[in-house]
Amino acid sequence: MLIEQLINGITLGSIYAIVALGFTLVFGVLGIVNMGHGEIFMFGAFIGVLVTTTFGLPLWLAFLAAIIVTAFMGYLLERFALRPLRNHQGSNHLAPLISTIGVSIFLENLSHHLFGPGNHPFRTPFAEMSIEIGSVTVYLVQIVIFVISLILMAALSFWLGKTKAGKALRAVAENLETASLLGVDTKKYITLTVILASAMGGIAGILVGMAFNAVTPQMGLSMGLKGLAIIILGGMGNVKGAMVGGLILGLAETFIVVYGDSGYRDAIAFIAIIVILLVRPQGLFGQKTSDVRR
Amino acid sequence: MLAELINPYYLQVGSFMLINIILGISMYITLSTGQLSLANAGFMGIGAYTSALLTIHFSLPIPVGVVIGAIFAGLLGIVVGLPTLRLKGVFLAIVTLGFGEVIRVIFVNWESLTKGSVGLSGIPHMGRELLKTVKELGFEPKMLGLQNNQFIFMAIFLILLVIVIFVIWFFKRQNDSRIGRAFSAIKLDEQAAESMGINITYYKVLAFAQGALLSGFAGALFAHMLGYISPADFAYHKAIDILIFAVLGGSEVIWGPAFGAFFLTLLPEVLRFISEYRYMIYGVIIVVMMVVRPQGLIDLNVVKWIKRKTTRRGLKNGTGN
Repeated sequence: MLIEQLINGITLGSIYAIVALGFTLVFGVLGIVNMGHGEIFMFGAFIGVLVTTTFGLPLWLAFLAAIIVTAFMGYLLERFALRPLRNHQGSNHLAPLISTIGVSIFLENLSHHLFGPGNHPFRTPFAEMSIEIGSVTVYLVQIVIFVISLILMAALSFWLGKTKAGKALRAVAENLETASLLGVDTKKYITLTVILASAMGGIAGILVGMAFNAVTPQMGLSMGLKGLAIIILGGMGNVKGAMVGGLILGLAETFIVVYGDSGYRDAIAFIAIIVILLVRPQGLFGQKTSDVRR
Repeated sequence: MLAELINPYYLQVGSFMLINIILGISMYITLSTGQLSLANAGFMGIGAYTSALLTIHFSLPIPVGVVIGAIFAGLLGIVVGLPTLRLKGVFLAIVTLGFGEVIRVIFVNWESLTKGSVGLSGIPHMGRELLKTVKELGFEPKMLGLQNNQFIFMAIFLILLVIVIFVIWFFKRQNDSRIGRAFSAIKLDEQAAESMGINITYYKVLAFAQGALLSGFAGALFAHMLGYISPADFAYHKAIDILIFAVLGGSEVIWGPAFGAFFLTLLPEVLRFISEYRYMIYGVIIVVMMVVRPQGLIDLNVVKWIKRKTTRRGLKNGTGN
């Protein structure tokens, strides 16, 4: 019982971590909180439902389709909601936050009209496969989710830390103008960042659909808010922090459902961030210096 | 004649408009110190539930309930504001958004008090109570040639109108005072304001608490106008509704959010087919406004232009000074 709950918690936490990675990437490079990320994640899940359940096509195709669609949505988001703001000199630093809130509202209601408000089941034979270890049942999906989240985290850390593109990205994060003076194509790298983050959101969407067998237009909002809570918990713009923060939140939520009052599950994330911002505003893994730049 | 002109439906829309104007102004006050708070929907809920519960369980008169609801929301604003206002910009926005969610979760789960997601019904209705009182005094709406429900909606509308005029007057006065100048100094440059001797913590908490108080006030009025509230009335979408009043209308002058609230309440009523796509259109409006006109439709220049126009016309007609 305890071990099964632990596994459930880790699964949920891994999903949170993947969503939070998307937030943290955009924040780390652009210093922007992308409120539309949750809705892009939700669209990824819906693409998964469409491909596997409606058209009955194999699962790998669903992943491919979701990555392509969400990456394209990421491009559109950057092109229409973020880039024009950057060209505005002296515009309010809250402007990108508000404009991505606009994107999230638009996408949530677009999916209401496209897919309907109800709960969509995500049927795939893969989600039913399980292994029995002693008295504990582990679903294959749970293992896959955990492994994918680890791979994404490792790949992202490697890419940011060790490759040339990652170096350029960190230069952009440090100072946009200086990086562009040094010959970094800033426009390209910023677009790339948003696209990458969105595609990760799409992957997370399909994984959530498989794990919980339910996709609704509202899931983007709650997942988005939790992703935000996690990056504050782990430290804004910190890859490792997003992973650990996600796992902590996933475990905490699972255990409060088992041992406490399940109704307050959705409040934990926010109580945690309110506490962490008061006690350690830079987050669990953040450095003092990194939050100087807005 | 009067009776035919007074359509309860129009009055209802008008009353919603007036409540939204109060909410828009509550957003404007916190924004006037440069703080983006998304907790106003939560504070609105606090005011609404406080007043509703007090009037239902202790049968307090409605005005007393409304005032206590507003004050309670304001006090909570101080309690929440003191620690969170150390945060800036984006962080404050996220924490206040989270605060709103926590409030909603509490409303849904504290079933013994709030009846959970079903919501509270049977809240004393402002107009009906008033009708009862005037009838006891021997007055009948028929004396004015009105039907009972016409009288009810008309009374609500007029009460709200007086309140809104008072609120706008009060905050316009405040803007031209020492407090208003401190607010705009903090908005322009916090550090510079601090070095000029302005106690920025005090003024930021003051603005935050005023916003909370006003949202709670609007929420309490909302509860007694409808007679029914549920946690969904004060969720994330309400926070977005309030935000867009200030984004579209503008947050430089008090007329901005008031205009935003007026316009955006009217729009779905006038263009029926829009109401289905309302939030999609809101989303597009938010993005477009941020790109094209981040200060909102009505800014200082517009106000000055309108003033110039009206005074010139006044001079022509010989009524100017």
